[in-house]
Amino acid sequence: MMLPAFSLIRREYIRWIRAPTWVISGLLSPILYLILFGQAFDLGKLLPPGTPAGVLASALSGAPTYFSYFAVGMVAFASVTAAMFSGTGIIFDKQLGILQRILSTPISRRSVFLSSLIFRGMLTLIPAFLVVGFALLLAYVPGVAGLQVGANVTALDAAQFLGAALILSVAFTSLFLSFGFAVQRIESYFGVVTILQLPILLTSNAMYPVNIMPTWLQYLVGFNPISLAVNVMRMSLFGTNGYTYSVGIYLLGLLAWAVVFVLLALLLASRALRSHVGPVGGALSDAIAT
Amino acid sequence: MSAPSSSPPEPALEPRGLAAPHGGVADQIVIDAQDLRMIYPPPKAGGKGTVAVDGVGFQVWRGEIFGFLGPNGAGKTTTISILTTLLDPTSGRARIEGIDVLAHPNDVRRKIGLVFQKSTADEELTGRENMLIEAGLYGLTSGQIGGHVNDLLAQMDLATSADRFVKTYSGGMRRRLELAVGMVHKPKLLFLDEPTLGLDPQGRAGFWRYIRYLRDSQGLTVFMTTHYLDEADQLCDRIAVIDHGKIIALGTPKQLKDSVGGDTLVLSVAAGSADPTALISPLPGVTAISRQGDSLRVKCSRGESLVPKVVMTAAQAGIEILGVTVIKPTLDEVFLHLTGHAYREEGEAPNGNPGHGAGNGPEGAPA
Ligand SMILES: Nc1ncnc2c1ncn2[C@@H]1O[C@H](COP(=O)(O)OP(=O)(O)OP(=O)(O)O)[C@@H](O)[C@H]1O
Ligand SMILES: [Mg+2]
Repeated sequence: MMLPAFSLIRREYIRWIRAPTWVISGLLSPILYLILFGQAFDLGKLLPPGTPAGVLASALSGAPTYFSYFAVGMVAFASVTAAMFSGTGIIFDKQLGILQRILSTPISRRSVFLSSLIFRGMLTLIPAFLVVGFALLLAYVPGVAGLQVGANVTALDAAQFLGAALILSVAFTSLFLSFGFAVQRIESYFGVVTILQLPILLTSNAMYPVNIMPTWLQYLVGFNPISLAVNVMRMSLFGTNGYTYSVGIYLLGLLAWAVVFVLLALLLASRALRSHVGPVGGALSDAIAT
Repeated sequence: MSAPSSSPPEPALEPRGLAAPHGGVADQIVIDAQDLRMIYPPPKAGGKGTVAVDGVGFQVWRGEIFGFLGPNGAGKTTTISILTTLLDPTSGRARIEGIDVLAHPNDVRRKIGLVFQKSTADEELTGRENMLIEAGLYGLTSGQIGGHVNDLLAQMDLATSADRFVKTYSGGMRRRLELAVGMVHKPKLLFLDEPTLGLDPQGRAGFWRYIRYLRDSQGLTVFMTTHYLDEADQLCDRIAVIDHGKIIALGTPKQLKDSVGGDTLVLSVAAGSADPTALISPLPGVTAISRQGDSLRVKCSRGESLVPKVVMTAAQAGIEILGVTVIKPTLDEVFLHLTGHAYREEGEAPNGNPGHGAGNGPEGAPA
């Protein structure tokens, strides 16, 4: 006996591994962000020479350098950006009749969604890990800023970091998967994604500290799931000074978002998969005439 | 065609739903459709929906090959979609092996295999991968089903291309893969929506040989649609004819053909000779005669046995008969008879809209 969901994950994996351009572009862009954006944009250089080190550290909530601060934000940024492609596969499967085929088998509708969530969620973690690894490596390159982590990072801190990355990935993969289930055309999908992309990414503290933002924006940023995840990650690596709440509160907030997005996606997916009045058969011209 | 039960004497054609079980086992109803109706929602709010299926009801018995025939847009695929749980009907009910398709769709899905009219294979995967993934959706591992997959690939003449990407397959190869995928989990009930569309004669023959073998050896039941009337005639134990969403006839191919009034004898008479109509019409079995120029069309119950009588009668009256052709009724004629329009050949109308009227041409169809 094999779980039907595993069969779908296997299919997605085979397709993914056979599309190297996708793999490369998916992995390359976060690295380019780190090298180009991260190296160029050093907020610390704006401080007058002779400013005590503590001033910058407190502005960056404990991060030793701007690059370290930014690199952690990029972990979240990379995984959310990757998640934005999560819903594309399901749209093509709908258009090509593959979803019809899947739905004619006894696999549960929930498993169809969960297998996508598991596989796509894993995919979004790859760029996240890559960013961490690459940023850590950069610290050893002379003349280049790298991610500097405190010596007192414990296993629990590492677990918190991973947990936040994972929950964030589940939340946004679900959100974008639900758009994939809801719309019929790839254009509509990217229409939605384009509208959401900048607001989601820029109303977070991934790139700049909240304290330099106007108050109304700070409120938005405080609730953004990316900010919540990034808070947990930064607290795990750089210490908890300068944060209003504890790690646990931020994690809970993040979890709440994830639950909302997963439920939304389950709802939209089961609605879309229930009675799929889609291209069941179609006209003869659609058939395999050659 | 070996029928498990001995054929009862052929009754006259019954209008719908009541024809005697022929190839199948009478007391085992596998598909039971009752008054199915499907109205597709209108594309724009306020518009009128499409009535695709309009009160369809029939039963299919175990071990039977049941044909569903009708022109493009008649409602065949819609009916299959309802029976296979992919589409909820607007009203009516259907049971597969006694299980209600609306109440327990997943139990129904476990019982059936389905071959779509449209290609559904994943192009980026190989043929074998497509089959194994499909098997996995039924909870089967490649260890359990690998041998069967190889068998099916061989049966479908895909053994040598099994490990090529589907995007490199020809149209016919895709179709054969589609058939193999639909049968990978060894279903006892198969729904085939135009299974042999685009297959070469050899591929068609091979597929039907295999289906017959499965039916005879394992009691497979088949519900199929096709536009090849000759195919339906040879294969199907019973046929339902559907037009504009309604079943307009249901019976064995023979019953259907008998309903159009038997054979037609075409006699060509030497130019200038007397009209033999008056001589022929009293002969036993003759039901109608019509004359077009030098040729005479004689409707009769059994054409072969009428030929010698006609020739003799004519000769005695000194009328020279130049040639005789016996035309057996085809489903084509059945179709013409039932609907008033000829069965449109494939390709004449590029899309599936039901805009076929009685007007657009029964050319050359003997009537
Ligand atoms: N998804 C849909 N939305 C709206 N109308 C549809 C849809 N699918 C089919 N129809 C309409 O329902 C009717 C029946 O279509 P169906 O596909 O069942 O015909 P069919 O008998 O399978 O024809 P074909 O021989 O062309 O495959 C047609 O008028 C078609 O236009
Ligand atoms: Mg059809």
